[in-house]
Amino acid sequence: MNKFLQNDYLSLLVRLFIGGIFIYASLDKIYHPSEFARIVYNYHLAPGDLVNLVAIILPWLELVCGISVVLGLYKEGGIAIISFLTVVFIVAIGINVIRGVDLECGCFTVSSKARGNALSLLFRDLGLLAICIYAWLNRSKRFFLFKQ
Amino acid sequence: MTKRLKQITLLILLSVVISIIFNFVSGNGIPLIGNWPAAGGSEVAVPPSAEEGDPPFISLDEAAALFQTPGVLFIDARDPEDFEINRVRGAVSIPYDYLPEEDYDLYWENKAIEISHDTRIVIYCSGSECELSLYLGRDMVLYGYEDVKVFYGGWSDWVNAGLPMELEE
Repeated sequence: MNKFLQNDYLSLLVRLFIGGIFIYASLDKIYHPSEFARIVYNYHLAPGDLVNLVAIILPWLELVCGISVVLGLYKEGGIAIISFLTVVFIVAIGINVIRGVDLECGCFTVSSKARGNALSLLFRDLGLLAICIYAWLNRSKRFFLFKQ
Repeated sequence: MTKRLKQITLLILLSVVISIIFNFVSGNGIPLIGNWPAAGGSEVAVPPSAEEGDPPFISLDEAAALFQTPGVLFIDARDPEDFEINRVRGAVSIPYDYLPEEDYDLYWENKAIEISHDTRIVIYCSGSECELSLYLGRDMVLYGYEDVKVFYGGWSDWVNAGLPMELEE
């Protein structure tokens, strides 16, 4: 079990996967802040005054942490933030599933056509969280671009 | 653990600084504080003409919760043509401006057969510029309906929140 947890290659794969997903997810939102702000507003979770700040900062946080995890630079911190964000997404989607809101995910694109089934979104994020936990437990430092 | 905390702080600081700068220099930046309608969410919108004794007003959150509650009926007080185009999913139309002036008592007597007086009711119209929901609510209470609530945020808040709706085919 410990061998599996600390496998160097699996560690690299997981880092590329999680980091890649967050980098990819951030780009469309960085390019379209006003559309993303509308999506954040429609979640009805952030207070009105904070909606734009969330829409401005969140995609960059995803990008910076994604890069950090891929490069292995501050990976511990990057994985911690990404795990936290994933939990926030799960809670946000969960609340809106309970409310019965037909929401735009705003996960990978700001296009309003991307109305996924909220339950499958939840399962997807739970899967991502499981992979994050693996990355959290894996302490392999091989394939880090920067050894701290 | 302190190492991780230090990294987290650094990554967050870096993201905040880059994002704010990028938002200023990029062509499509947005104001740091947006002008989003405050109504909706848990705030209760109340029409200016509300009086004491009016049916209770409810927030978007309450309306959304009631929408999920079995047995709650949403009533659309707008004009029939608006109702045709779009409406809260499952809502029925009682267009206040189109109700008969003659035999008004009879209208409500007949209505009671269709919608019983103990039905839990949420009334809405188009939003903050519309008072039809309030007028209809007052009359329904007057004609014996026991549980009437007015969702004054109305259709506009409902749409903005992306809540379930029906559109014209």
